[in-house]
Amino acid sequence: MTDWTIEALSAAIRRGRISPVEATEECLARIQRLDGRLRAFITLDAEGARKAAKELEAEGTAGRWRGALHGVPLAFKDLCHVRGLPTSCGTRTSEYFVAGHDCTAVSRLAAAGAVTLGKLNMTELAMGPFGDNAHHGHVQNPWRAGHVAGGSSSGSGAAVAARLALGALGTDTGGSVRLPAACCGIVGLKPTYGRVSRAGVMPLSWSNDHIGPMTRTVRDAALLLRIIAGRDALDATSSPRAVPDYLGGIDRGIAGLRVTVPENFFFQGLDPEMASGVREALRTLEGLGARLEERRIPDPQMMNDVCNIISRCEGAAVHSRLYRERPEEIQPVVRARLELGFRIPAHDYLQALRLRARLTRAFLRDIFAEADVLAAPVIPEPAPPISHATEGPVDELVLRQGRFARLTRSFNGLGLPALTVPCGFSQAGLPLAFQIVGRPFDEATVLRVGHAYEEAAGWHRQRPRLD
Amino acid sequence: MNERKLLQAELANLAAAIERAAADLALAEEPSRFIAALEEAAEERE
Repeated sequence: MTDWTIEALSAAIRRGRISPVEATEECLARIQRLDGRLRAFITLDAEGARKAAKELEAEGTAGRWRGALHGVPLAFKDLCHVRGLPTSCGTRTSEYFVAGHDCTAVSRLAAAGAVTLGKLNMTELAMGPFGDNAHHGHVQNPWRAGHVAGGSSSGSGAAVAARLALGALGTDTGGSVRLPAACCGIVGLKPTYGRVSRAGVMPLSWSNDHIGPMTRTVRDAALLLRIIAGRDALDATSSPRAVPDYLGGIDRGIAGLRVTVPENFFFQGLDPEMASGVREALRTLEGLGARLEERRIPDPQMMNDVCNIISRCEGAAVHSRLYRERPEEIQPVVRARLELGFRIPAHDYLQALRLRARLTRAFLRDIFAEADVLAAPVIPEPAPPISHATEGPVDELVLRQGRFARLTRSFNGLGLPALTVPCGFSQAGLPLAFQIVGRPFDEATVLRVGHAYEEAAGWHRQRPRLD
Repeated sequence: MNERKLLQAELANLAAAIERAAADLALAEEPSRFIAALEEAAEERE
């Protein structure tokens, strides 16, 4: 069962082929067997999951179905506040973040029938792209032990790839959904800024935070997005724009679709195997009828800098109490990143916010006037060894972090939907991936392209050897 | 380079980049135009 997609499990439960209790028990048994070495979970809620599954089973037997996820076991990054469970945000303090209400995205999934397995490991305070965590254990890459799972939603990436959960939620402030999805060979979607409510989720940067689904297939990501997207009175930045049926047109194909490929920045310094994998994926898109055009992207590094300044300043404001009162509890590399935020002048922060608006308009005008999506690399190299994230002087570690997230961050600043899709494996057996970026609120087209590629390439049918 | 020097160097680089780019910002340019840009682009597409 754990190999099934969310769609397949949901359909099987409706047909009575498997019960919510059986599905939940299979996941719990797999977590029990594998998570001692993967370290994907911070809090496993076996008791709560069993209780919820029994209730859902009884409801199903009585002909009452909650929704599209009735009985489907999911897990959530440990910065989503869920009543009754601690939210550490990857820190040493088990109840670091407490919100006045449950995370809206989790509540919506539960209302649709999802079973919560527990809370997933992550980079401390979501600050770092590798997913290492000295407090809760470094998350292992399911495809190759000793390599990072990518971060900051590292537990989400590993749990889904290792079939510990059918799907997960991650958050993305500079790439934190797309990077672990790429490292772990799964799908990860950062929706448009405002598409999904952030209420009940620990903020890192109000201006750059996004919540998104992490799943094994693009169709499953579309299914989860449909449920979590939409206006929420608890998050004033959530858009009132109607939520489309993302699965409705996902099979339409991509013939004639215009795909821009960056000729600058994104392929520079790329690992040769990664470059080759992404180029091959682009040829596949072309073979499916898409029209590819190479184009110069307006100043991605400037948007990276703008986004960096905004995130650092807002992150410092959010976590100032922890930083000032208990700095010794914070891992040195995370502390170094926080410290920068305290030293950036308010004037620079405000100029960055103003520049972001201008750069976004210029990007939309220059790129999307003549393209439907942009396709680009998402990580510069396959998941590196964990030592790459943890060993060395702090200044060198910070530089490595910046290099690893350099291809994702600009799309947080731009607020555009961006989807990671796996596109093969390196010689060492580690996943390769690329990202598809779309117009504001056009997740439907991004998902359509991702699904067409996924079906043609078939990488989602591979599974890591863990048993 | 030690941690302190790295911090100072990164800070200086970021400040310089922002100063250069912001030099010709129009007076009317304000942060909320970011959200407006996303919403307007979505409306144009629809």
